[in-house]
Amino acid sequence: MLIKLAWRNIWRNKKRSFITITAILIAVFLAIIMRSLQLGMYDNMIQNVVGSYSGHVQVHSKGYWEEQTIDNAFEFNDSLIQKIENNINVSNTTKRIQSGCLSSNSDLSKFVFVTGIEPQKEQLMTDWNKRLIDGELLKPNSQAINIGKGIAKYYDLHIGDTLIFIGQGYHGMQAVGAFQVSGILDMKNPALNNISVFMSLSSAQEFLSAEGLMTHLVINKKEYSDEKEIVASLQKELNKNYEIMSWQEMMPEIEQVIQADSAGGLIMIFILYMIITFGIFGTVLMMTQERKYEFGVVVSIGMKKVKLMISMVYETIFLTSIGIFLGILLSRPIVLHYYNNPLEFPAEEAEMMESQGFEAVIPFMSSYDIPITHGLIIFFISLIICIYPIITIYKLNPIKAMKR
Amino acid sequence: MNVIETTKLFKTYSQGDIQVNALNDVSINFEQGEFTAIVGPSGSGKTTFLNAIGGLDTPDSGKVIINNTDITQLKSNQLIDFRLRNIGFVFQAYNLIPVLTAKENVEFIMLMQGETAKSRKSRTEELLNAVGLKEQINRKPGQLSGGQQQRVAVARALASKPQFVLADEPTANLDSTSTSNLLDIMFRLNQEEKMTFIFSTHDQRVIDRAKRIITLEDGKVISDVIQ
Repeated sequence: MLIKLAWRNIWRNKKRSFITITAILIAVFLAIIMRSLQLGMYDNMIQNVVGSYSGHVQVHSKGYWEEQTIDNAFEFNDSLIQKIENNINVSNTTKRIQSGCLSSNSDLSKFVFVTGIEPQKEQLMTDWNKRLIDGELLKPNSQAINIGKGIAKYYDLHIGDTLIFIGQGYHGMQAVGAFQVSGILDMKNPALNNISVFMSLSSAQEFLSAEGLMTHLVINKKEYSDEKEIVASLQKELNKNYEIMSWQEMMPEIEQVIQADSAGGLIMIFILYMIITFGIFGTVLMMTQERKYEFGVVVSIGMKKVKLMISMVYETIFLTSIGIFLGILLSRPIVLHYYNNPLEFPAEEAEMMESQGFEAVIPFMSSYDIPITHGLIIFFISLIICIYPIITIYKLNPIKAMKR
Repeated sequence: MNVIETTKLFKTYSQGDIQVNALNDVSINFEQGEFTAIVGPSGSGKTTFLNAIGGLDTPDSGKVIINNTDITQLKSNQLIDFRLRNIGFVFQAYNLIPVLTAKENVEFIMLMQGETAKSRKSRTEELLNAVGLKEQINRKPGQLSGGQQQRVAVARALASKPQFVLADEPTANLDSTSTSNLLDIMFRLNQEEKMTFIFSTHDQRVIDRAKRIITLEDGKVISDVIQ
């Protein structure tokens, strides 16, 4: 009966209820759209950086990040890798060995980073393979190299040309080798284009006299998993000879940019919530004040105040739940549409973004966390607002309430 | 046997700087099956007296004993429960719950009492039938005339099987036909079920039908006659 009473009371003033529900609907709708857009943009930004190179989490030998030399390479057995890959949040892993060295061709020379990779696994991890602009991609155990287009331009290299490398191998061994260029890549980032050289893991290990060693174990997380959880669980599983770092630790400046921008978005949403809070409160205030007489009557005839309070809470919950439900329902197709068909930047901006290594699109984030979070926020706001009718009913004196 | 015993009730209100004696040493007893009208000019203390015996207001001093319980000593929540189980109310402005149908308004009280669905249904039908609203049970108050609404209010007041019914100016908003019908119903219930009715009223038609008439003036009983 209390539920029936609450439900019918909502529709006593249809216009007012309709306006309140619409206001809640718009607030939830806007909050979801704004947040999906913002988080989708951040996710894409992270994916661009993480996907093009770093991966979400990296395992190194202790101290490697501070001193990135080949002497800090490490061995890692397959059973441990299997253990990491079995982690519920981990999608896949790949090994890399990396070292800086001098490259040379005719009378030119240039510092580059040689990275040994597992071509098949690397494709699952990063999207470097999508950036081939000439030749062919590396194959496992290939003796050739793929180079950034900046290097190719610097040396005027073409497919089939040879590049010589001189550097320091593992434990002071000399690393010298000549490698044929099999592919040229556009890394979508001028800095990376000027220093990136890829070769197969086995070739790089041989070149650096570091058989069986690697400098990075790169881990990719599953969609919407938390990389910090992976770091925490690996820190428990692996011994202290390894350092496990999330991309946020490796590239704190990106996280700072996201946090600064996100704060702006959250302020906007906070303002939206403040407006809707007063909107809901206004309705509840009117609902309570204009029914004081009626409250007096029902308490007089024997309705316990607690039951009356519950009835008012039901009313507020119904009112907000309808708005929340409709807001989520209306926003979902839009979010899904722009998740599958991301917004595109205008041509000029797109070119600028692509030159900096970012995709010129903004896909929406389709995670259910966003509607659930914002729905719950409004729901809790409505519960807080219920304090007003609860206090009014608690203090109610039926005689005074029934005096018109 | 007394249903209600009041002893030396005093109640004073402040109106600005003036103290108004709403009840001034009022001691009245009511027996089972009475059909009593409390009359007097405005401000004589009729409604204050009804509120005191209905547990809606607490006198400054004195006792109100109903069923061997001094209700002036009960706490707010106990009073609500006491009213629910012992007292039926009929108000001048009907005061039905506008979003509930006639049937649901009557059932509402029994629901508060924790009655089963089966007993609620049968008693509701019985009561609405008794007040002549068998055909209107699914209508909401807004779809009923004033007289019909007041008859639903009477059915609601009787739903909890109370010790007595307090009716505060029940006919004030009704035309003569509706008043006559309502009085017939209440009189019949009084005769057949020995239900005690206590009215506060100015209405001569009610006064004419009452068996006992108590007149208040300035918070004092100035006459108490049985006719």
